[in-house]
Amino acid sequence: MELGSLASIFVIALSPMVPLLLGAVGEIITERSGVVNIGIEGILLLSALTAAVVSFFTGNVLLALLVGVATGVVLGAFHGIISVYLRGDQIVAGVGLNLLAYGLAVTSLFKIWSVFGASPPVPTMPKWVVAGHGISPMVPISVAIAVVAWFVLFRTNLGLKLRACGEDPRAAEAMGVNVMRTRLLATMLGSALMGLGGAYLSVDWVGQFSREITAGRGFIALANVAFSGWNPLIAVIGAFVFGFFDALAIYLIIGAQPTLSYVFKTIPYLGTLAVVVVFRGRGKAPAALAKPYIKE
Amino acid sequence: MSGQGKWMSWRAVEYVTVAFEVLGSIALGLVVAAGMLAGLGYDPIRGISLLLTGGLRNPDYLLSRATFIMMTGLAFAIPMLAGFFNIGGEGQMYLGGLMALLTAVYLRNGLLAILVGGLAGALLGLIISALRIYRGVNEVVTAIMLNLVLYYLIVYLITVELYDPVAPHESIKVPAEARLGVIYLAGNRLHLIFFVALALVILAYFLLYYTKLGYEIRVSGLSPRSARYAGIDLNRVAMTSMFIGGFFAGVGGALNVVGFMYYIDSLLTCMHGMGFTGIGVALMGRNNPVGVILASIFFSMLILGGSRMQMLMRVPKEVADALSGVIIIALSLPYAYRILMSYIRTRRLMKVGAGQPG
Amino acid sequence: MPDAPLAVEMKGITKIYPDGVVALRGVDLTVRKGEIHGLLGENGAGKTTLMRILYGEIRPTQGTVRIFGRPVKFRGPWDAMREGIFMVYQHFSLISSFTVLENLVLAASSMAKAKAEEVEEQAKEVMEELGLKVPLDARVETLAVGVQQKVEILKALMRNARILILDEPTSVLTPTEAEELMKLLKRLKEVGITIIFITHKLREAKAITDTITVLRKGRVVGVVKTATVEEADLARMMVGREVVLRLAKKERVRPGDVVLRVEGLWVRDDRGLPAVKGVTLELREGEIIGIVGVAGNGQKELVEAIAGIRPVERGRVLYLGDDITGLPPSTVYKRGIAYIPDSRAVGLVLDLDVIYNSVLTRLASFLGRGGRVLWGRARAFSSKVVREFGVVISSLRTPVKYLSGGNQQRLMVGREVAAHPKVIIAFEPTHGLDVAATEYIRSLLLRLRDEGKAILLVSTDLDEILQLSDRVAVMYEGEVIAVGRPEEFTLEELGLLMGGVRCQGRASG
Repeated sequence: MELGSLASIFVIALSPMVPLLLGAVGEIITERSGVVNIGIEGILLLSALTAAVVSFFTGNVLLALLVGVATGVVLGAFHGIISVYLRGDQIVAGVGLNLLAYGLAVTSLFKIWSVFGASPPVPTMPKWVVAGHGISPMVPISVAIAVVAWFVLFRTNLGLKLRACGEDPRAAEAMGVNVMRTRLLATMLGSALMGLGGAYLSVDWVGQFSREITAGRGFIALANVAFSGWNPLIAVIGAFVFGFFDALAIYLIIGAQPTLSYVFKTIPYLGTLAVVVVFRGRGKAPAALAKPYIKE
Repeated sequence: MSGQGKWMSWRAVEYVTVAFEVLGSIALGLVVAAGMLAGLGYDPIRGISLLLTGGLRNPDYLLSRATFIMMTGLAFAIPMLAGFFNIGGEGQMYLGGLMALLTAVYLRNGLLAILVGGLAGALLGLIISALRIYRGVNEVVTAIMLNLVLYYLIVYLITVELYDPVAPHESIKVPAEARLGVIYLAGNRLHLIFFVALALVILAYFLLYYTKLGYEIRVSGLSPRSARYAGIDLNRVAMTSMFIGGFFAGVGGALNVVGFMYYIDSLLTCMHGMGFTGIGVALMGRNNPVGVILASIFFSMLILGGSRMQMLMRVPKEVADALSGVIIIALSLPYAYRILMSYIRTRRLMKVGAGQPG
Repeated sequence: MPDAPLAVEMKGITKIYPDGVVALRGVDLTVRKGEIHGLLGENGAGKTTLMRILYGEIRPTQGTVRIFGRPVKFRGPWDAMREGIFMVYQHFSLISSFTVLENLVLAASSMAKAKAEEVEEQAKEVMEELGLKVPLDARVETLAVGVQQKVEILKALMRNARILILDEPTSVLTPTEAEELMKLLKRLKEVGITIIFITHKLREAKAITDTITVLRKGRVVGVVKTATVEEADLARMMVGREVVLRLAKKERVRPGDVVLRVEGLWVRDDRGLPAVKGVTLELREGEIIGIVGVAGNGQKELVEAIAGIRPVERGRVLYLGDDITGLPPSTVYKRGIAYIPDSRAVGLVLDLDVIYNSVLTRLASFLGRGGRVLWGRARAFSSKVVREFGVVISSLRTPVKYLSGGNQQRLMVGREVAAHPKVIIAFEPTHGLDVAATEYIRSLLLRLRDEGKAILLVSTDLDEILQLSDRVAVMYEGEVIAVGRPEEFTLEELGLLMGGVRCQGRASG
């Protein structure tokens, strides 16, 4: 592989980086408050759908992004209430959420466009052209979001309170923090970012909605959360690394025979596995993660 | 839902509670599905009735479908009883199916194929748990990654190496001598695999309630502190339960290949999604083998009903997936606290046991 | 001082819990401003309950509270905090992975908008004024416990604490740290802060307080000016002069051979700190050794180490001459050592039925070929246990959580005894039981002793220890500081020993 193609891959990697980054940062915020939301995949999918629908019917891409975010918020509220107030099993609820979102998305896809696979192309965001590839403004925006998230989490009182909920909810409550409300809001904010990532998928990068548009990226984002040690800045690096595998697969698929593409498709997942196995346990998870807080 | 007064014995209270949870979650799921159908402009009543009854038209098909999710249901239930999440049922099933196909084709023995398929799944289960215990890798991530990798690899293998020249979208077929066929019971046609699955479920029942391992699994899941007091090694129990869970999922795939379809289609649609449905089955069956049998028939009914609904009303059968999702969420609630607390405690005690910082 | 205003006036405080337990009975507490007031008593005397009422965590069933003359009704700790009352618990309300400053900012920002720089300024001022030194940028989990405690106190001071309640503050400190704390408290007193100091340690109470209220079994036994009493007086008040009902105890047969020997045992607790520091003990056939001491002095770690549940860092455990150190619990139990833990949630699996629980510790003896559980045998065994030990059940298949505490205990004890062990470790065997069940267990233990068993009884109940033991060992801060026959100690001496005061001329071991 010559240097030129390698550079190409790096540039291509910026596109899959966005949903991986937004999903991871969103989940970092959620998990830092003590809630686990493995429904990232489902949220990405459903937001991608709603954004595509809005873009298709109104042509307004910005509105589409906003609707995607709103979708995320709604789903986040749903998961938050179940996890925090109803004290449901968070992992099981997340599995259910993914399934529900998948069912909703595919059914709606058919209803709206009468297809089972992929929608027609929808209007997308304008791009800058860098090194012969289109780069969306969402790339720097998502990095900026990660930086802001890091700043708020680690340099403000608000972030302090949020992290306290995830470390020691009893102590946080004793110091006057409303743990349950904070956790719910953190979940909703996290899902808002995931919604943005989902909207980006359909309305910015791929240009259409299909039932495979998420391709497991929600779970790769989950891996990124642990890889980053629950730090949004390192999540940027992680998103780029995981995005690189994605891009590598894309690059190889383009050049190769169609059947080999299946093998290449496994690269992102094998890469993710390799990374999480080798780079074990960076940083500690929030101590009170996934434990429902019960006021005594 | 605690006892309503001393006149109600504890047993009655528990049964009533379970019935309430199960029926309540089903009802909730149906309401949401109806809402979805109505919201998208379809006839909700017709849709729901088709979902519920569509599967009853062909009992053979119903029970055969139930077979596979019975197996994936056990695949989730048994590790869950020990306090471990097995979301890798899909991948374990795919690999089991593949290995069964290869064994059937090259060694020409159906029973051996089932065994090999089971062992392949078991190996995957072991890997997932070992990575969690010894490398601290989140088992959800590992399982899903393996699911996806195996999906594409097997699709590739079928498309490129193992395809049937006569029907390129299907794999080579299982030879006749390796097939598990059908039997006729009181004039009804039934696939043998259903009975094989029943036998395995009974085996699982026996394992859980009549053996030392089953005892240890149940104690570890219910009270990790008591397990420690009794000298039960939580790590060993977790890995063994994942081995067994993976075995069942692998068998599920093997039974599909060797006893029903007799081939694997190149997009794995014959097996896709059953791992996750198995989670719903296990939850509804309350991780109890008998419950799993009943729940698997129910979910099978839903899946087939969904197909029928798709056929007659032109509504995507994925509505059934959404329904399953709601049922799973609803079932995550009441039981949740107890499972979760023991899960967390198990993880903490397991960490201490493996020498990692607690 | 005598004319100082009353900071705290609690009158007629009674607390009865829904299940009938009477924690406090008509307790009065009067604390003057600027004094250090000690609240003294054994475990379960009601000290913490009383303070939790003062702090607003619990509501009293009866009684009134006045703070600086004003009657108050607290609905929660935040109400108390607004009045300037702060409590420092044994387990701190600090986020261990945050820095000291972050914790202070967090605490401050809950009351008003707080800027980190301002909080830092204020913290430095307070530290300056009181000679407190705490590294603001260090993560709490890296700090020694004594320093963490200072952070808790600092946190309270920065929120304008007027009354500080300290619950057994030195139980987590080394002697040096305790000294520093005492100095700090004296400084706080000088600036006019009122301090209530809960403790069971007599030396401390004597050293630092101005007035002491002594509680025993939920009642006030006496209120004294510290300067006018001696430690011995305090011990007598704490422990009581009631006639201790002694069961008819047969004169002990000459004790037999040594069955269990613990040599120089060092064991760490869950935090990684040494909890058992070089304990050496011998247990003989037909003898009950009672280990007495306030909870948290290493007893749990000691018995868990003997049972094989907890790893041993140094030292040995010898059973019938064999070294069993580090063997897994199932092997230890099989060899003939029975361990009855202090918690029924640990010793039993509450969600499982009677039969399941009867075989928990010795499953191996109920297995057939290939790991099959012989339920018939198990059922017969559990039937026998239930019959012989009077466990009241509706059916063998009832989940154990539906049994009463007393019946659960009978089951747990019975299952262990029915396996004919040579050594029985009973850890708080009558904890939380009613009088009838308690008497049953105690006479059972005596009977077992007469049959030649060796019993290691660990309890915080002094009455129980004295009634049952042939020899008594006092455990304090991980060491056995005195051993002897119960007749050799006076009640005062025992009280002193439990409080950490070592007597002259008492060799340990």
